[in-house]
Amino acid sequence: MSREDALHALESQLRATPPRGLGALSEGELEDLNEAVREARHRQAAELQAAGEKAFGHIPRLLRGPIQKVMRA
Amino acid sequence: MSEALRSRAEVMKLARLLRREPDQLAYLGRLAPEDLRVLREQVTDMLFEAHDGTLRRLAAASRLLPVGLVAMLGQHAFGAMLSARISGLLDPARAVDIAAKMPPDFLADIAVELDPRRASDVIARMPAERIAEITRELMRRGECVTMGRFVGHLGNVALRSSVAEIDDATLLRTAFVLEDRDRIDALADLVGEDRIARLADVAEREGLWPEALDLLMNLDRERVAEGLARMEPERRELVERQAREQGVELPTIASEGAA
Repeated sequence: MSREDALHALESQLRATPPRGLGALSEGELEDLNEAVREARHRQAAELQAAGEKAFGHIPRLLRGPIQKVMRA
Repeated sequence: MSEALRSRAEVMKLARLLRREPDQLAYLGRLAPEDLRVLREQVTDMLFEAHDGTLRRLAAASRLLPVGLVAMLGQHAFGAMLSARISGLLDPARAVDIAAKMPPDFLADIAVELDPRRASDVIARMPAERIAEITRELMRRGECVTMGRFVGHLGNVALRSSVAEIDDATLLRTAFVLEDRDRIDALADLVGEDRIARLADVAEREGLWPEALDLLMNLDRERVAEGLARMEPERRELVERQAREQGVELPTIASEGAA
């Protein structure tokens, strides 16, 4: 991946134009930054999924139906 | 020097957001702090918006549950990171009620993960005593970067309580990494002359001269003069010498010294 490709990949992950100063980073550094951002997004998705399941177990049975309804809305 | 330290503080904030060690992102330290701040805000926005729908539904669902249960779920199921993501989506008054049921150490965990821009209304409504408790915990952990992100969102009463909680070295470190630099005036107003007089000792002992000079330059000139006048002559000379060495112009000190 070229430096420009790595910058574009970052732009597409962030859905925003990264600051110009990032142009001073090497290809390897930009790839590492891309990877760190990707990992953070995936980790958040996994934690959200796991937390939702764990939380559901603590909710009184009577309220589970209405909660599920809101979550599926 | 200041620029490099500010970049380092920004790398620390970004590393925390990405769950990496600051050393792993050390290569970013050569970028300008303004660029790193923009990048961090872009990453923050991306992470919040990536699961915005789910987070909003969770916030809506939480309205069906009693406050105590939401607090328990926040602490034991969602954890600090997700609680921080959701907190800005809750009704601020209810969020404060939920926070009242959580222990200060967990609220400090949330503070570390929180984007204060998105929970500004919640932070502003938190009672000053609660803010002081969280500040105490953050200071115990050495979380100056986190405290620096919050100052711009605290009301004057809460800010006063926080400043009263922190020691001089923490005050210098926090003021230096303030996210909202405009707020340094409010912070500086809360620093009394006695405290100004102690700053040289702290700066010398902890190696915090750039931080001390940065704060002094933002204080009212007359109050700086008064603080300096309370110093022993050798301490005052030390401040003047450090200011010269750091290339910082402190006209108040020069005029006081000449008087």
